Amino acid sequence: MIMADMVQILVLGLALGGVYALMGSGLSLVFGVMRIVNLAHPSLVMVGAYIAYWAFRLGGVDPMITLPVALVILAATGVLLYKLVFEREARSAKYSEMTVLLTFALAMVVEGALGTAFTNTQRVTSPDYATDAFFIGSVFIPKGQLYSGIVSLTIISALALFLKYSAFGNAIRATTQNRDAAELLGVNVNLVGLVSFAIGIGLAGAAGALVSFVFSFFPAKHWEWIAILMSLVVLGGMGSILGTVLAAFILSVIAAYVGFFFGATWSTLTFFVALFVVLLVRPQGLFGEKPELA
Amino acid sequence: MKLGKLLASSAAAALIASAAVAEIKIGTSLPLTGAFSIAGAKHEQGYQLCVDMINERGGINGEQLELIMSDNRSDPATAIAQYERFINVDGVNAVFGTFSSRLTFPVANILAKNGLVHPVPAGGALRIYTQGHKNIFYFQPNAAEYVGSSLQGLISDLVDEADRPKTAAVVSADDFFANAVETGFLGLKVMDPATGGEVTDLAPGYLADAGIEVVYTEKWPEEGFNDWLNLANSIKRSGAELIIALSASAEEAVQLTRALKTVRAEPKMVYYSQGTQVEFYEGTQEASEAILMHTSWHPDAPYVGELAGEPFSNADFVAEFTERNGFAPDEDAAIPFAVCQGIEQAIRGAGEADNDKMGAWLAARTSSDPVRTILGAFNWDSVGLPIDKPFMVAQWNGGELQFVYPTNEFKTSPLNYPKKGW
Repeated sequence: MIMADMVQILVLGLALGGVYALMGSGLSLVFGVMRIVNLAHPSLVMVGAYIAYWAFRLGGVDPMITLPVALVILAATGVLLYKLVFEREARSAKYSEMTVLLTFALAMVVEGALGTAFTNTQRVTSPDYATDAFFIGSVFIPKGQLYSGIVSLTIISALALFLKYSAFGNAIRATTQNRDAAELLGVNVNLVGLVSFAIGIGLAGAAGALVSFVFSFFPAKHWEWIAILMSLVVLGGMGSILGTVLAAFILSVIAAYVGFFFGATWSTLTFFVALFVVLLVRPQGLFGEKPELA
Repeated sequence: MKLGKLLASSAAAALIASAAVAEIKIGTSLPLTGAFSIAGAKHEQGYQLCVDMINERGGINGEQLELIMSDNRSDPATAIAQYERFINVDGVNAVFGTFSSRLTFPVANILAKNGLVHPVPAGGALRIYTQGHKNIFYFQPNAAEYVGSSLQGLISDLVDEADRPKTAAVVSADDFFANAVETGFLGLKVMDPATGGEVTDLAPGYLADAGIEVVYTEKWPEEGFNDWLNLANSIKRSGAELIIALSASAEEAVQLTRALKTVRAEPKMVYYSQGTQVEFYEGTQEASEAILMHTSWHPDAPYVGELAGEPFSNADFVAEFTERNGFAPDEDAAIPFAVCQGIEQAIRGAGEADNDKMGAWLAARTSSDPVRTILGAFNWDSVGLPIDKPFMVAQWNGGELQFVYPTNEFKTSPLNYPKKGW
């Protein structure tokens, strides 16, 4: 019985981690390439969730089907945002600091726009699998989170393959490692920034489609996500997608066990404690670069 | 000469116009965004409808009402600042209360300090009413600590003794309101947060009174909690036959219901402190079947209140609300409407929008001469809690929120028990 409990908690932690992984990946990619701390990322996840919600409500379209549409719409939004807001100051010495304020403002604008358009009431999509589970003996695997985890890892794997084996992926990685050196070697860093930002925001849209049936949501919900996502990105190493994915699974599993043994209040705290501890002990996270001393 | 007449008539017209637009300013700070936004937005609808209808019927004593509304983002500090602004900058004549015990508790001190009548639409925690304020009037049946008496009565009156739930899981948000309801169920002490003194001891509690053993308790944090499946699994593992889930947020009620369905928990009875909203049904669908919750209002309740000095029934409210908004109201729109009715009657009764006189008039209401609203009649005890107003218990059945208890008030639907799956 105790072993079954332990396995069950592990399953639930992994299931939650799959959803967090996709949400955090886009945030990590954008930071890695552009050094943008995108506080608006979860609010753009909400946009993806609303796209999936309305497609489901009006046309009965499964959020899994809507996912690529949300990805493309948000990626296009990312292009617009980059050209209108983020491109012009990309060479500023204080760019990262400026983007914190910019994206904070953007998050509030997105929240306000969603609230005006769709009201502040809660929404959730309800495909049959969202509240169903596979049972193996006394252990259950929630279908909604299992499917979203599989889709999430598939998308992240495709992104990893793209980054590793395509010429443009190499350019993105080079820019992530050293923007100036990449430019000296002929990489069009502005185009790399644009495409990376679009992919990152597109991932937010895709994550939103998955979130739409895993959690209920409303425009202001994004404030609850940002601290969790930041803890994943920091633990994984700012800019490391692999690190973010691993951090998502590690922290979600730890939080699940903490919740089981110490109570639900403490499970949420796991992410914040991790954020503080990592910043104190290993600020570069699992796979990030060690910060240079000035 | 003509010029003189023209000037005189212009001055007279200006005087008449200024008299016609004389206004009673009423301020309210609501959680239109943030954790309580679902209920907050509906409170806005209820207040606005009532003010609009009073104005359309000529206002109060010839004066139109102006409603000044601000979004406090579900944040207590913002709510306090906004009520201070209403008083010190906008110069309001009266206020409507905000939503939730968490926001009402700190706001109560500001309004008491400034001598404003504080009509509370949603703020059931007993501690709000034991601070010694004389200006506060609650427009729901009773303090949250006493909600459990309705469930105890329902089980005792409607469920065969042999078939009653014998064990319970009590899970709640770590929230002002939810903690208050939990205190009554579990028989805990109500403490005054300011003095640390004991307000009252509710031992042994409604569950113990009903002979139900509590086999599992858990709290989740007020914000940022996502591990609903883990919580639902723990509830299931406890084997509790009665699940009591307490929160001030309908969104959390949806999340927990979906999780309980996913893990296939098998309780006989489920009781929530939130979930009367259509959004709850939209998010839970057939999983809502047989879930019970207390409520202060039901569309079928045959109450007749007053509006603009004329009789105005609950059915009138449902019809007007539905016609103007295109959808039916729920409890979160009806309660603020009743608050507005109460303040209107207080201004009429006092003869003017003078808060001392309004407070005295409200405090002087009796069972034979009450405030009459779409929630029924109200008169209050010395701390501002209504006298002799039991909570109603409703149950979702077939997508309809049915009124099931108490059975001696008006027509009820049969109790759906035990719950058959999700």
